[in-house]
Amino acid sequence: MSTVDEKQEPPIEQLSHGNEKWLNAYYDPVASLYTLTQCVALSDIQADGDWKLVIADLGTGSYDMKLKVYKGTNVMSENAIIDLPTGVVTFYMDVNEPRTPAVAVASGPYIYIYKNLHPYFKFTLPTLDVNPVELDLWNQVKEEKINIFVLREMLEGMRAEGAVLTVRSLRFLQLQDVPDCEAFANIYKHTPLRRQTVITCLATMKKSLADEDAISCLVIGTESKSIYVLDPEAFTVLTTIDLPSVPVFLSVTGLYDVEYRIVVACRNGCIYTLKSNYNLKRGSSDYLKHCIELNSQPVGLERINKTIYVGTMDETMHCFTSKGKKVWTVKLPASITTMETMDYPSKGFKGVILALNNCQVHLYKEKYLVNIISTEDIVTGLKFGRFGREDATLVMTTRGGGLLIKILKRNATFEEKDISAGPPAAQNTKLNVPKKTKLFVDQTMRERENAVSMHRTFQRDLYLLRLNTAREYAKSLENSMNPISSDPMEPLKLNATVQGIGPTFKLTVNLQNTSLNQASSNLIITFQYDEKLYVFKKAYLQVPLLVPGLNYAFDTLVECQSDKGISDNVKVFVLKEGKVYPL
Amino acid sequence: MGFFDKLAKWLGLKKKDANVIVVGLDNSGKTTIINHLKPKETKSHDIVPTIGFTVEKFTSSALSITAFDMSGQGRYRNLWEHYYTECQGIIFVIDSSDKLRMVVAKEELDQLLNHPKISNRRIPILFFANKMDVREAISSVKVSSLLQLEQIENMKNKPWHICASNALTGEGLMEGVEWISDQLRDIIDGSK
Repeated sequence: MSTVDEKQEPPIEQLSHGNEKWLNAYYDPVASLYTLTQCVALSDIQADGDWKLVIADLGTGSYDMKLKVYKGTNVMSENAIIDLPTGVVTFYMDVNEPRTPAVAVASGPYIYIYKNLHPYFKFTLPTLDVNPVELDLWNQVKEEKINIFVLREMLEGMRAEGAVLTVRSLRFLQLQDVPDCEAFANIYKHTPLRRQTVITCLATMKKSLADEDAISCLVIGTESKSIYVLDPEAFTVLTTIDLPSVPVFLSVTGLYDVEYRIVVACRNGCIYTLKSNYNLKRGSSDYLKHCIELNSQPVGLERINKTIYVGTMDETMHCFTSKGKKVWTVKLPASITTMETMDYPSKGFKGVILALNNCQVHLYKEKYLVNIISTEDIVTGLKFGRFGREDATLVMTTRGGGLLIKILKRNATFEEKDISAGPPAAQNTKLNVPKKTKLFVDQTMRERENAVSMHRTFQRDLYLLRLNTAREYAKSLENSMNPISSDPMEPLKLNATVQGIGPTFKLTVNLQNTSLNQASSNLIITFQYDEKLYVFKKAYLQVPLLVPGLNYAFDTLVECQSDKGISDNVKVFVLKEGKVYPL
Repeated sequence: MGFFDKLAKWLGLKKKDANVIVVGLDNSGKTTIINHLKPKETKSHDIVPTIGFTVEKFTSSALSITAFDMSGQGRYRNLWEHYYTECQGIIFVIDSSDKLRMVVAKEELDQLLNHPKISNRRIPILFFANKMDVREAISSVKVSSLLQLEQIENMKNKPWHICASNALTGEGLMEGVEWISDQLRDIIDGSK
């Protein structure tokens, strides 16, 4: 069962109290930090108990890429990065004291490892097989058997056929001018041709111990649709898993040596769950059974315990169980830019933080929106964790390059259900239903046993009732006793009411001409009654001209002569002058 | 009180007692400050993060002061309010080098001042803008403006004073302690 909550206007007044839950520790709208959630990490990289903020700055996207480390509000160090960073994680790679974690920056086909803020190691992803035709072509260029025009034509043909080319060939095809092409070919034709892939996502997985500072493996997703698990000490590939699509978000649990599970969101809009106890050899497709297909492309993947939270491009957040069953879906007021888990163990709070395109940051506890933070700019990077000496810090980077740091107040709590949609509270209160009596039970039993005969009896009585009604109606038509005139020439409606408690009553006769345009005239009202019982003050009423549609009231006083409390019918007639039968 | 005690007090030989509570965020240097004020023989060399609280005694020129050195860690901060009734003075220690958590310090200070046991009493508050030796440290003036000490209306019945200090060398500590003991003596004498 899945439920879809209707898009609802968030009760801003109520939720803006939420901003009182956060302290504004720092805001620099011009920090010139252009980064995404994947490139932000909080870690105690100097093992001094003062946690630093590690950010890979994307710069302009082509130059000015930097690895920045913030100590408190100051930039502590900057390291240039050669290519665009795609992920930053910190992990312990050895057991040396003091326990300083290493910083891994994924960039292009490489992972750069920094220790103590200094470059330490560069890992290159294994190269892939080069298309033999392409290799042959470049070899021929090297031996000057073919010129660059032939090369270009052949490569274009290969690309049109859908062959996967190397970066060198693609770059060559991008060049427009002939001299450029020639120079490019001349420079690169002597170096061996290699096909490399690009890292798309990066995560860590503890190797054999679950401790906070245990050694971790790196888990890498690549553009070549595979996932690699790297050994942290030797930097060798421990496991390779091939996927049907390019992985974009990873969520890892468990230990490599014991049991692990990797949840992967792919670019084709599917989420796969990879487990260690499966046969994860190349070519195996066991994991395809555990596939969640999304309606839209994922923009964020978070996992809290056994539930998977996925934000998709169609402005919704879905929640799945680890088995792939959808639990609920929440529609959001704007599209999601990024997601982050808020895990605050000292309060036992776990939630999902969503940054939206409308300059708001929403905090969800399960499906309940518990807090909204409004920002001046669209948030693109989110990180919640320990920063400096403060446990519950939320670091946000904005599209315009700003840096916001908020600290959760010590005594802030998030009320779960008070501001949520869903069934009203009254629906959950138990009604005071009296206990079933023996009579009720017997009656129920009887109804159950004799259902058919009861139904028949009821139907028979119903028919009799209808028959009686029809008879009475026919009789009243014959006697002109019905309050509506049957004469089409004089359509009248009559209604008589008696007021008072006796012995004097007031009898009011309401007369209405129901015709559309025909006025009635020369009418008389008279009464038939028992003269021993009643005395009418006016037993004969002259009716004036009746205008169609209007209601005329005529009243007369009636006195009851008897003191025995008996009553009798009084008939009201409307007569037309010169006619014997009442209308 | 025995006769000799009374006599000693009258003669000014025995000092009067006062209780102060020492609060502030974790790692701001509360224990280090108290350690520096203690008599030489009871000083400890290793300062470790305080768990819960410790009670220390030291003397200033006019008073014998009992200090409740509270732990500043987030999970122990709710213990502070249990000692508000007993204290006659407050020492609030701030890490001047931790600009990020100045808002947290302000939040805790506001909570303290708005506490019913504090808000309607006349209690002197001494602020130590500690860690002046650290390179990133900001001046005591800057600290008082960040904590908005001037704007706090409760300050009407709370005489306050801010001192730049370095608890490692002891710089600025005596100035602050002399100020608070003067204030405390006024209050104690006034209440008699």
